[in-house]
Amino acid sequence: MIGRVRPLFLWSTSTRRLVVGLVIIALVLLFLLPRQTQFLLQQVGKPVADVVSVPLEMMADVDRGVRNWWNQYIALQGIYEQNRDLQVKVQNLEGELNQLREQALASQRLTALLDFQEESAMTTLAARVIGRSASNWYHGVVLNKGEDDGVAVEMGVVTPAGIVGHIVKVASSTSIALLITDPNVAVTGLIQRTRDEGIVQGTAQGFVRMKYIPPLAAVKEGDTVVTSGLTGGFPRGLLIGQVLTVGEREGDLFQTAHVAPVVDFGKLEEVLIVLPPPSSESTESIGNILTSQEKKPKDS
Amino acid sequence: MKTGLFVGFILLLVPLQTTVLGSISPFGIRPDLCLIAACLIGFLTGQVQGLIMGFFLGFVQDLFSASDLWLNTITKSGVGFFAGLIARNLANAASHSAFLVVAVFSVFSGVVFMVSSRVGMDIGDVLLGFPSILLPQALFDGLVAIAAYWVATRWTPEASSF
Repeated sequence: MIGRVRPLFLWSTSTRRLVVGLVIIALVLLFLLPRQTQFLLQQVGKPVADVVSVPLEMMADVDRGVRNWWNQYIALQGIYEQNRDLQVKVQNLEGELNQLREQALASQRLTALLDFQEESAMTTLAARVIGRSASNWYHGVVLNKGEDDGVAVEMGVVTPAGIVGHIVKVASSTSIALLITDPNVAVTGLIQRTRDEGIVQGTAQGFVRMKYIPPLAAVKEGDTVVTSGLTGGFPRGLLIGQVLTVGEREGDLFQTAHVAPVVDFGKLEEVLIVLPPPSSESTESIGNILTSQEKKPKDS
Repeated sequence: MKTGLFVGFILLLVPLQTTVLGSISPFGIRPDLCLIAACLIGFLTGQVQGLIMGFFLGFVQDLFSASDLWLNTITKSGVGFFAGLIARNLANAASHSAFLVVAVFSVFSGVVFMVSSRVGMDIGDVLLGFPSILLPQALFDGLVAIAAYWVATRWTPEASSF
């Protein structure tokens, strides 16, 4: 028998029996009624998550500090900063260009302006990525904004370059966003050039593919994929990525395209959470509609 | 004091897993610190301690993972408990025993996660999880467990005979 290391906690026999009993009851309930106990776990978990988020934010700051120090002082200080600034600039310009192109196309097709505004107006909340999902099986990030800031499940998460994913769990001061590269995330996408729709979904390998593209769609490598706005969380016209390859096997009813996301998920630091547009804004002027892609961060 | 340490351990392990480990994950694979901790605690201190620590570590891990709010709680509790049971039946333990136990439980836990996170997908996509996540993580968990075992057994006077 092993067990030769001092126990971590030395409770009295009665306390120990009570704790073990409660744990066993909780496990049996979780095992037998996993879905039904979700609400209870969420309520119990919120204060625990708040407590854990304190050391988490501290560690995230230390981690960020060490990484910044390493990148700036050890690994080519000037070039790193310059490159990073340029990358951010290019991403911003690509995002702006794409949204402008989308607006122009929408106008050409005489889309009803009010509908267009409702689809594209974005009220966003800036959030910082403070960690990665605590499991290798899900591609997710931990954000430093939660229920207290107005964040709710199913809200979209974007960067100026394109979409990131959506919120799947919310605590009072933190939330978990599942990335578009996760197989459990699906967003309706649109090939910008051909206007063909499909479902953009992550893959088990951590890539992104667009499924259910009509068989006659003339999709080709390099085509831009944007959100169609049909699913909640994202307005129309946000950049998702570019088509890498189009796969069409004989007998398939639909085409499938592999998509290269525009967002570098390995370097996510700040994101924007897309909040639902306030209902009072639905009567804004046409002038506002044409500039409706602007972001309105409540907090940074 | 002991309870304070126990709470502190739980509160610090998950933040460590979600922040620092993200920066040092070869091929995108991070060791599951909570699994290693639950397993080693069960292995070294008994199945009841393993069960309790596994339960609380799994619960906090669930709060900061995109999975359902029960997967880690149940798997970590089970891992802690069964690692303790295995240890009861081992005459001698060494770091390679810790490696094997942690790696096997990592595979077991990985299968549970692979099945639950890939519901409704092609079987090919599901099985891809074996070479891309499950096996590398089991190996990684086992290697980290050797280091953790070494530290744990040298920090405690009772374990000096190991």
